[in-house]
Amino acid sequence: MKNPLFKRLPKELKADLGKYLVIFLFMTLTIGFVSGFLVAGSSMSAAYDESFEKYNIEDGNFTLSSKASKVQLERLEKEGVKIEESFYVEENADSDSDGKTDATMRIYKNRTDMDLICLMKGELPKADDEIAIDRMYADNNNLSVGDSMKIAGKDMKITGLVALSDYSCLFSDNSDMMFDAVKFGVAIMTDSGFDSLGTTHLSYRYSWQYDKTPENETEEKNMSEDFMKTLARTVSLTDYIPQYANQAIHFAGDDIGGDQTMVEVLLYILIVIMAFVFAVTTNNTITKEANVIGTLRASGYTRGELLKHYIALPILVTLAAAVIGNILGYTYFKDICADMYYGSYSLPTYVTRWNGQAFVLTTVVPIVLMLVINIVLIYRKLTLSPLKFLRRDLSRSKKKKAVRLPAFSFMNRFRIRIILQNKSGYITLFIGILFANIMLLFGMMMSPLLSNYQKKIVDNMVAKYQYMLNVPEDEEDEEEAADSEENKSTLMAVLQKMLTPSLDTKTEGAEKFCAYSLKNMPKNRDGESITVYGIQDDSQYVDLDFKDEGVYLSDGFAEKYNIHTGDELTLKEPYEDDTYTFTVAGTYDYPAALAVFMPIQEYRETFDRSEDYFNGYFSNEEIKDIDERYIATTITEDDLTKVSRQLTVSMGSLFYLINVFSIALFAILIYLLTRLIIEKNTASISMVKILGYENKEIISLYLTSTTWVVIFSIALSLAAATWIMTLIYKVMMMDFSGWLTLYIEPIIYPEMAVMGLAVYGVVAAMQYRKIKKIPMDQALKNVE
Amino acid sequence: MFLEIHGLKKSFGDGESRTEVLRGIDFAVEKGEICVLLGPSGSGKSTLLNIIGGIDDADEGYISIEGEKTADMNEKTLTKYRRKHLGYVFQMYNLIPNLNVKENVEVGAYLSDKALDIDDLLKTLGLYEHRHKLPNQLSGGQQQRTAIGRAIVKNPDILLCDEPTGALDYNTSKEILKLIQEVNQKYGNTVIMVTHNDAIKNMADRVIKLRDGQIRKNYVNETKISAEDLDW
Repeated sequence: MKNPLFKRLPKELKADLGKYLVIFLFMTLTIGFVSGFLVAGSSMSAAYDESFEKYNIEDGNFTLSSKASKVQLERLEKEGVKIEESFYVEENADSDSDGKTDATMRIYKNRTDMDLICLMKGELPKADDEIAIDRMYADNNNLSVGDSMKIAGKDMKITGLVALSDYSCLFSDNSDMMFDAVKFGVAIMTDSGFDSLGTTHLSYRYSWQYDKTPENETEEKNMSEDFMKTLARTVSLTDYIPQYANQAIHFAGDDIGGDQTMVEVLLYILIVIMAFVFAVTTNNTITKEANVIGTLRASGYTRGELLKHYIALPILVTLAAAVIGNILGYTYFKDICADMYYGSYSLPTYVTRWNGQAFVLTTVVPIVLMLVINIVLIYRKLTLSPLKFLRRDLSRSKKKKAVRLPAFSFMNRFRIRIILQNKSGYITLFIGILFANIMLLFGMMMSPLLSNYQKKIVDNMVAKYQYMLNVPEDEEDEEEAADSEENKSTLMAVLQKMLTPSLDTKTEGAEKFCAYSLKNMPKNRDGESITVYGIQDDSQYVDLDFKDEGVYLSDGFAEKYNIHTGDELTLKEPYEDDTYTFTVAGTYDYPAALAVFMPIQEYRETFDRSEDYFNGYFSNEEIKDIDERYIATTITEDDLTKVSRQLTVSMGSLFYLINVFSIALFAILIYLLTRLIIEKNTASISMVKILGYENKEIISLYLTSTTWVVIFSIALSLAAATWIMTLIYKVMMMDFSGWLTLYIEPIIYPEMAVMGLAVYGVVAAMQYRKIKKIPMDQALKNVE
Repeated sequence: MFLEIHGLKKSFGDGESRTEVLRGIDFAVEKGEICVLLGPSGSGKSTLLNIIGGIDDADEGYISIEGEKTADMNEKTLTKYRRKHLGYVFQMYNLIPNLNVKENVEVGAYLSDKALDIDDLLKTLGLYEHRHKLPNQLSGGQQQRTAIGRAIVKNPDILLCDEPTGALDYNTSKEILKLIQEVNQKYGNTVIMVTHNDAIKNMADRVIKLRDGQIRKNYVNETKISAEDLDW
């Protein structure tokens, strides 16, 4: 026969509909979002993985200082690779045709073999004045098919929106900390349209694929290193990016996976908190129904039968939330999450796929968690003897004494007793508030953190313009050769000198510097790009006094890798095994990059450069008297602030979503647990009403104790959340290139506290009404 | 008269399921009297006590204490009335489980400006050594003594006792009845006690017997004896 107790379930559900509805809705929305996120993520991840084959993505690319000769290419291809030209031109773009440069557009010819493109809307360009631009850049700059934009001063018609398979993430430079899809875009033009742009800003990039696909990552790295050595011997290499190290190709794929783990963990923490809420409330029900349980147990009902009855509703609610959440996940939330990915990455089109693993993670795992936590916590209570239930004595030990309290006023002692009586509920409340506040802190701190980072970068900019120059490779060698042969006075030498381009400028305030990119060597992880600057003595741009021996590190570099003054720092050549060791003399406030500063003479000696070598200028005025061909890069405020800009664009809505979610969690937990505390004390509240206590006195007793706990929990959780966030943030940032200094705007704390208290105020008002409604005969009803 | 009850009627339910619990109750109690309400289950004695205690209301009739009618009182005034005049003792004690003995008594003391000395009272009640214990660490008799302490600490005009010995054994019951009598003598409170134990009528000044919602007997007990001498 079916257990007749199950007939109670609909009635219990109805009687406690508010509680079950709130938990059901919260779990449904959370599971729905996570399911949607996982389905969208796996579908996009599959589309991304398939894109390697579908769009024939390169195994790497390299850039040369000049076009490779046919002989050089043939020699390289003998190493077991196929090489294809992938030249590009970078031009200023004016998206809104207001005459001002908005962005940099990297333009390629249409690809026919490697790194094919995905046409997402419109059509490919056919005429010289037509262009197909990256879909995400278009979205970020409010451009669509049919619009016009200026590229290098020429009007171009946008015929299509595309995703370039080797730019799923719009990194303009592989060493960048973050991509910039607002001020950097990629585009495709016809061959003749591309040629019409000229060669002034042309980069000689080549893509390659191995004839024999590497079997694993180790083999791929070995093959890449061998190929790089061959390249270095054969051609003049200015950049080398194997596919596995190419952020423009891999950043999106890595990020999609990383986010999924975080979201799953988030779901499980929430399910665990909800399971605790269920367990605490069910334990309260068991206490209320102790005599009934005692009678049933005395009549022969087993603990298992009662356990099944008491965990049935939590499991049914979780199951319903999981099923409906998954339906919402596949329908509504999937599109929202896909849009979030499309808002960050330039991914190709995708097809929704059934994700069995996501179904297990969002259905089976929550139910198992709910089941295990409830069984453990409820079964323990049900192990008491039937007699104890009949006597309503559910304490495990008779000898347990009341905690002695100091001589506070009676009301305060009463409140403390309420806190002690409900400590499991209050502990759950504290954990919930802590978790909600960690998320809220993250959601609230990121925008000010990015703004602060941006402000700090601007405030600490070395100069308005940083020019990196293309110093001809052989200039120095020729000079040295001329010196050594002592034939400076020959006509040839004079001619040579005349033909050598001038890298000098008459721009007022321009100051020479040297810069070179090395890699650091952290333990158990790949190194990242570190810019080593050689700075002139008494520099007007870098305020450093190189009295002490050693180098200065940018503060972010020192902070990220925990390097202190006096430590030894070893950096290595990115493509070779040579290493350099420096002693750290101090840090310098330069948040824009991970950098090392040293005196220019020491730089020249370290890197074996001539006495007057330099390859860059700091200047607060734009330099106009150096041939554009010799200016490799101009770094301005826009370049330095793109990290904060891009993060704000792609994550801004997510931060807002996290805030809303955290506040909802906060409100739900406070509502459920204060409700529980009042329910638990219904008989006592009723009794004190009979004795003549007024509502305001009862509220002052039963709500004030909760108010104390909420205030204490908020205050403690803010401190704990800050500490936990510091740890999480450091781990999170270690995966990024570069470093964003942790900054929590002080105003966030009062804002969080006010938000928490405001939410509590609303909940307390609801509970105030509930207390008022408790009838006096409640105390009499419980009399057996 | 100190307490007057006039034409009190009360029914529960509607239509066919309507049950008349009190069908016109009239009686009066002098200040300082011990009045015992006797009657079998369903006779309406607990309902009557609840109406006197202001935790239930009558359909008709009124209760007046020193000329003040409870029916005219709003919820707030009724709360003040309970606070000022009444002390309650229940069959199942209804102590607050998370407060210790002394604190449970303090719950009552808090309501009065003329509360008795708590430690003295605990000594009188024989609870002083147990003052730090929680209710679930006490015997039934100790719990009921605590409930009495909570009720009388504010020195109420009326002590309402609803089957105060219903859950206790013979000896403990006698102890509790003795205590109620001592309290009545010492503080002069009016005691209205509901019981179905016929023997208890012997310690009362006034006995009211109820059956089917009506008073069957209402008399002054001329042969009142000490609670100690009760036997059943």
